[in-house]
Amino acid sequence: MLAATRAAAGGRSSDLLSSRSIKHVVVLGANGAMGLGSGALFTTAVPRVTFLARTKDKADGGLSAAVKMVRSSTVAKRVDTGSYDADFDRVVGEADLIFEAVTEQLPLKKEFFDRIDKVRRPDSIVATVTSGLSINQLAEGRSDSFRKNFLGLHFFNPPNVIVGTELIAGKDTDPKLVDFLDEYCTKLLGRAMVRTADTAGFAGNRVGFKLLNECAILAEEHGPLLIDELVGPYTGRALTPLATVDLVGWDIHRAIVDNIYELAPDEAHETLKLPSYMADLMAKGVLGRKTGAGFFGKDDGGHRIVLDPKTRKYVPKASISRPDLSFIDEIANLHRVGRYVEGMQAFAAATGPYAAIAQKVIAGYISYSFHRVGEVTDDISGIDRIMGYGFNWAPPSVLVDTIGVRPTIQMIEKAGLPVPPALANAQEGTTFFDDPQVNVGKFFVAA
Amino acid sequence: MWASSSSLRERKVLVKEMAQVPAVYVLGGYQTDFARNWSKEKKHFVAMMREAVLGALEKTKIEPGDIEVAHTGNFAAELYSKQGHLGAFFLEIDPAFSGLPTSRHEAACASGSIAILAASAEIEAQRYDLACVVGVEQMKTVGAGEGGDFLGTAAWYELEAKGIEFPFPKLFGKLGDEYDKRYGLKDEHLAEISTINYANGKLNPNAQTRTWYMNYEHAMSRDEFNGSIGGRIHISDCSQVTDGAAALLLASPAYAKKWADRMGVPLESIPRIKGWGHNTARMRFEDKVAESKGAEYVLPHVRSTVTSAMKRAGIADVSGIDAIETHDCFTTSEYMAIDHFGLTAPGESWKAIEAGDIALGGKTPINPSGGLIGAGHPVGATGVRQALDSFKQVKGEAGEYQVEGAKNVQTLNIGGSGTTSVSFVVGT
Repeated sequence: MLAATRAAAGGRSSDLLSSRSIKHVVVLGANGAMGLGSGALFTTAVPRVTFLARTKDKADGGLSAAVKMVRSSTVAKRVDTGSYDADFDRVVGEADLIFEAVTEQLPLKKEFFDRIDKVRRPDSIVATVTSGLSINQLAEGRSDSFRKNFLGLHFFNPPNVIVGTELIAGKDTDPKLVDFLDEYCTKLLGRAMVRTADTAGFAGNRVGFKLLNECAILAEEHGPLLIDELVGPYTGRALTPLATVDLVGWDIHRAIVDNIYELAPDEAHETLKLPSYMADLMAKGVLGRKTGAGFFGKDDGGHRIVLDPKTRKYVPKASISRPDLSFIDEIANLHRVGRYVEGMQAFAAATGPYAAIAQKVIAGYISYSFHRVGEVTDDISGIDRIMGYGFNWAPPSVLVDTIGVRPTIQMIEKAGLPVPPALANAQEGTTFFDDPQVNVGKFFVAA
Repeated sequence: MWASSSSLRERKVLVKEMAQVPAVYVLGGYQTDFARNWSKEKKHFVAMMREAVLGALEKTKIEPGDIEVAHTGNFAAELYSKQGHLGAFFLEIDPAFSGLPTSRHEAACASGSIAILAASAEIEAQRYDLACVVGVEQMKTVGAGEGGDFLGTAAWYELEAKGIEFPFPKLFGKLGDEYDKRYGLKDEHLAEISTINYANGKLNPNAQTRTWYMNYEHAMSRDEFNGSIGGRIHISDCSQVTDGAAALLLASPAYAKKWADRMGVPLESIPRIKGWGHNTARMRFEDKVAESKGAEYVLPHVRSTVTSAMKRAGIADVSGIDAIETHDCFTTSEYMAIDHFGLTAPGESWKAIEAGDIALGGKTPINPSGGLIGAGHPVGATGVRQALDSFKQVKGEAGEYQVEGAKNVQTLNIGGSGTTSVSFVVGT
């Protein structure tokens, strides 16, 4: 078991919750999407929340967006706002939890932690919402009491909708604090918590962006439209992969995969290398939906356009012909009437070059996930939980259970990928997914 | 002489000795996660039926071939999905259902309970030994306005709903008005009902609103985030638009005995439907109110549904009921249920609210599941979901929303503006 992810042993919920108290949270970066979204979440459970930003105006803007997210103006009564210049030292000194959500840049975050370290109470919690920076690295040079009370609390955007949350302890984090925050977030904030090791991208982004980047690489040869259909909703996700990259932003995608590529060379190293066409286009200002277009967009006439990565130009969606993908239609039709097992078995059994591409990506997702056990989480259920609750993708175990152990192994072998020992050693009929609360059918979208 | 109080006829409740009728055992069931949006999943409602029925079979370790008859409760698939004949969709669930006798039952929001009544009647009549009941509704196929109009067909559409935006909140707002006129009614008490249902829903892993924000302060707020939908009914007073299905397996004593032996449990530990009540009032709300003018109860037929279920169960009054799963389509309907169940004298429902009696941990918790407001209200599934939650309570399987030591739990499921009402007592 990984020391960093060890769960509370035998601690009673009520004892844990009363071991600390969070009456006041200060959110730093409360005008950004993650800051205000997390702030919105805290307002639903914490008596006092302070929104801080560069200016009070920006913090006020964050608050009004947060009120709209919670859909209740009553939460505003519990919020005060302010600026880093005027209010930082005072409110950070008062806070029980300081929640850092400033821009994802190591030197900037370090600057903030330096300031926090000077004015915080020795018993206050400091949490960072970083999606990829190392918790241990962020804690370097800080006081003992800071490091003891510092951890990663990775909400997924938007936090009021997506409940999956990663909890990352540093090497000096007080284990009792980790237990407390796990319980607090579960019980009071309605989170589905997953403890991960302090590794690049933690669990969710490591596994998730590996698949997304692999799709971006494949798009160079096959085009984004075809890849998004091949690895589409019928393979167990609500949103298609490249549309997801457009939504999160190419810059965020790049930061995450570059970080993993640099720090975590693993058996799928090359699938985490950002394709050069993306770098070229980013240099020209293409960042996905926030700049109007990424893999997909609309022309001036409102017609849908699709990127051709080879030429770096956009072409009308209507000009792209759809090859014979009848296997996808058949699987989607089975999902539509709730026959998910038959649908995914048909997926594993499908033949032809297009089916092979889809199978390789899904086999890669399963293989990669199982190979991360022991490295980023203690067991596959941690990865299952974050992929299900955080990404809204069919967790790897759900895919194995639905396809069957033997056909899954065959699919992985056919793709030339390493078969995880947990699968190779499993008896036929073994099931891996262990969360009875989850309706696994919800992941298999009929499209 | 219809619309006058003198015409209110007390229906005689002919309660057969329970010993004369074979018992109906509840072996178990399954509910889909009511937070799901099946239209976003691009699913047909048969997927929902399938998950519920296969879930119930898996939970009870029963082979599909054992089911001898199937009943579907559904309100308006013709409108929401342009599809009728829902009983026949059982055959799309498993090949073992080939040839299975099936039927579909409709009584607006009470459809699920009517399906249970039909299934249990067939077991009592000794036609079949094992029946499957599934309640199902897919409502997110259309927008709020269109859906509200569809729901209007549970009232007298032409007279009470046609051309009216959100007719049902308005009808149940009138129920509140009638209480106000006869006894007085405070918004604070309705807000408390909403708060409790949402709080309970947070404990229920299948509840639609389990991650939503709600508290008393918000329920009492009156700005754009909690606007009026119809008179005194605000957003926080309403149940939800929900996609969902719930399935239940009902068995004869012979099958239940065989199953109990196989599972290694005593027959006595298996919950039964100990009593039922079923009445219908006139369709229009104003006719109901005119009928009950001067009477103790605002909806006397609902009252007799509740009392006849208790009587058939051999339970003298609500003190013999450990928890209630009632039809809180709006906070006013739960307010009505409190005195109609006899938790207080007529018109004094507020006393039970103020005393904390209806909260989890109180004397008679109402809607530990969260009810229609907290758990959700897939119309045709609600009656089955209520019976399933009652089953979970008496089996001690309700997890975080368990009512300690519950032995007898009673449901109240209402179609229309108090038109069709059905109640079950589920207990061991």
